Amino acid sequence: MTDSSNHKVAKPANLRRRILAGGAAGLTIAGAPFVSRMAFAQTGPIKIGFPTPLTGAFSAEAQDQVRAAELAVKEFNAGGGFNGRKCELLVRDDKLNPGEAATRTLELIEKDKVDLIVGSLSAATQLSINAVCKARKVLFNSISQSDAINEAKDWSFYTFHEALTPHVTAGAVARYAFPKFGKKVVYLTADYAYGHEMVRGFQRAGQAFGMQTLADIRHPLGTSDFSSFLPRIQALKPDVLVLCNFGRDLVNAAKQVTDFGLKQNMKVIAPVLLYTSRQAGGADAFEGILGGTSYYWGLEDRIPTAKIFNDKFRKAYAGAAPSDYGALGYAGIRSVLQAITEARSTTATAVANVMRKMRYDFYKGSQSYRLCDHQSVQSVIIVESKSKAMKDKYDVFNVLSIEAPDENNLRTCDELGHKVLS
Amino acid sequence: MTQANPISSAIALIAQHRVAAVLIFLLLFPLIMPYEALALNILIFGLYAVGFNLLFGYTGLLSFGHAAFFGVGSYLTGITIVHFGLPWWLAIVAGTAASGVVGLLIGFLAIRTRGIYFSMVTLALGQIVYYAFYKAERWTGGENGLRGVTVEEINVFGLTLDFVNPLTKYYVLYVFVALALWLVSRILASPFGAVIESIRENENRTAACGYDVARAKLLIFTLSAVICGLAGALRALHLSIVPIDSLHYLLSGQAVMMCLLGGMGTFFGPFVGAAVFLYLEDVATSFTTHWMAIVGVVFMVFVLFFPKGIWGTLVQRWQRWNNHSVVTK
Repeated sequence: MTDSSNHKVAKPANLRRRILAGGAAGLTIAGAPFVSRMAFAQTGPIKIGFPTPLTGAFSAEAQDQVRAAELAVKEFNAGGGFNGRKCELLVRDDKLNPGEAATRTLELIEKDKVDLIVGSLSAATQLSINAVCKARKVLFNSISQSDAINEAKDWSFYTFHEALTPHVTAGAVARYAFPKFGKKVVYLTADYAYGHEMVRGFQRAGQAFGMQTLADIRHPLGTSDFSSFLPRIQALKPDVLVLCNFGRDLVNAAKQVTDFGLKQNMKVIAPVLLYTSRQAGGADAFEGILGGTSYYWGLEDRIPTAKIFNDKFRKAYAGAAPSDYGALGYAGIRSVLQAITEARSTTATAVANVMRKMRYDFYKGSQSYRLCDHQSVQSVIIVESKSKAMKDKYDVFNVLSIEAPDENNLRTCDELGHKVLS
Repeated sequence: MTQANPISSAIALIAQHRVAAVLIFLLLFPLIMPYEALALNILIFGLYAVGFNLLFGYTGLLSFGHAAFFGVGSYLTGITIVHFGLPWWLAIVAGTAASGVVGLLIGFLAIRTRGIYFSMVTLALGQIVYYAFYKAERWTGGENGLRGVTVEEINVFGLTLDFVNPLTKYYVLYVFVALALWLVSRILASPFGAVIESIRENENRTAACGYDVARAKLLIFTLSAVICGLAGALRALHLSIVPIDSLHYLLSGQAVMMCLLGGMGTFFGPFVGAAVFLYLEDVATSFTTHWMAIVGVVFMVFVLFFPKGIWGTLVQRWQRWNNHSVVTK
């Protein structure tokens, strides 16, 4: 009697135990792919995630980034890779949307298990990618301009910034142009972070030359008709007009400034004169406009590495010249691959530690990362748009000057909020 | 007596316990999705579409300003974490409550109008909210978006959970979605739920029956804003950022698309719509930059040939088949 009752009680307990055991086995099986994937990651290819806006307003620039990044990867693999491990580039379209950029970065980290992330092409998307990488301690090398990413509250030990900052670019253009063309300045500014950062950069650099701001005229992002701003600029009679806008806005502003005849009375400058914008806008609209850029292929007659990079790019892509943002894609990938090879490891901390000490010259002369914020200290090229004597469709700028890399042109570590110096 | 068909009785059981059925489905959902971040996006946007559907599908009011509630929920959750250091769950409450308040204000102004004017007024007020947040750069980060909404681990009943782990994050946010879905189902099953549906069918007659139509509209508008605000709050925690696009009118349009695609006026339809829309977009993006063309064509096909949406069509087919089989027997 007692036996049978015991037996009866034992049954459900057994059942429960069996379910538990089964559950544990199930979990092990479910977990197995993760374990094997992690083991695989040590020996399989080095995976680099590359989120960039293949669709949206900057798709032309983004596609050039991808082409140049693939070139860097091919080169690395042709050279045997690292320990026999080849590199694999995982390109994802972030649609120029920060929410999509964050989702894609999560996909790259959580599903594809990438070793690190390089990419982005706007201030907002790079900040969102950085936020995701920072929380997961994944190394991120940004190849797009932003001032905010270097500031202590966004930055992390795993954040690197390969591109120039608006502060440095605007400063370099100001240092070149302001002493030459007069003291009275009008800014025509796209009303968002990028525009404001550019104006701030100009004004800071302009103080040294006693520049006088007549007006900072703000226009909404995506303005197509500038005719209401132009008579006011005419009436202010400035010596210099600075176009602090980007992409399509810059092309439209340049066209209308030209049509309005403003160039006869004042020098027009743009902080960032993009190769792709100039090609889209045409020679006449940009005629005589002066600006800064991170790279122009025409550097090749004075910088040997530029010549090597251009030739490789031309060979790979039917004679096309690399653009400024394209070149950043190349440099962004090459620096992390170089660091992996030197560190003999793909872990974020080891790679970051090597990158901090690295001096490199991949395409535009010597560069290195500043220790406090991992900003790449590099030269700024001052160019002027050509309209005559162009050899071919790639020949659009004259290189006027190269501002040598100098940490003193960056905002100080202290100003960015970095407590620990170097 | 008709012999109960096992399939039809199973479906009847699901229809009876719709919240439980949806929740079981969502519990297993991350396992069938290509990656967890996408499953989370669908969970969040599904809830957003469900909240929107309260107003659009059940009350018959087409709002073009619902991104305002989603965005306010997101931003206030983010701001209270970044600037005030609130614990994550309190931040969710704050974000949801804030979008309720904004919903009450916008609703108060918007329900005085009807039809296309209602849509226009909500769109305009939504844009005002967008602009206000865009300009308040010190608080919201403006164009760059709000960063630093980072929650690395959370404590629940003495348990410490790793919130960076995607599955943990999914199931934590799932609890909030579950509560919201139960609430929505409860609202729809209540007498008040019948009132809003009768407003959709015939507003004058509802008023003639003695119901205060204006108050019912304002209440459902606010409730809809609260649900959408909760979805926004969860997104802030999911992405650890709040992009300014969260307030953009395109996101308001997305809610309409998701509802139409899935089936407006059905409980689960908006979820299906959100899942199909986001999954299709994700898949199409990975092999072509012309993903918009594919999503657009699929959307048009459904609007033209399945005006009741995916889920709505399925429900209709089932009802017809069920009635038919009952009659023949």
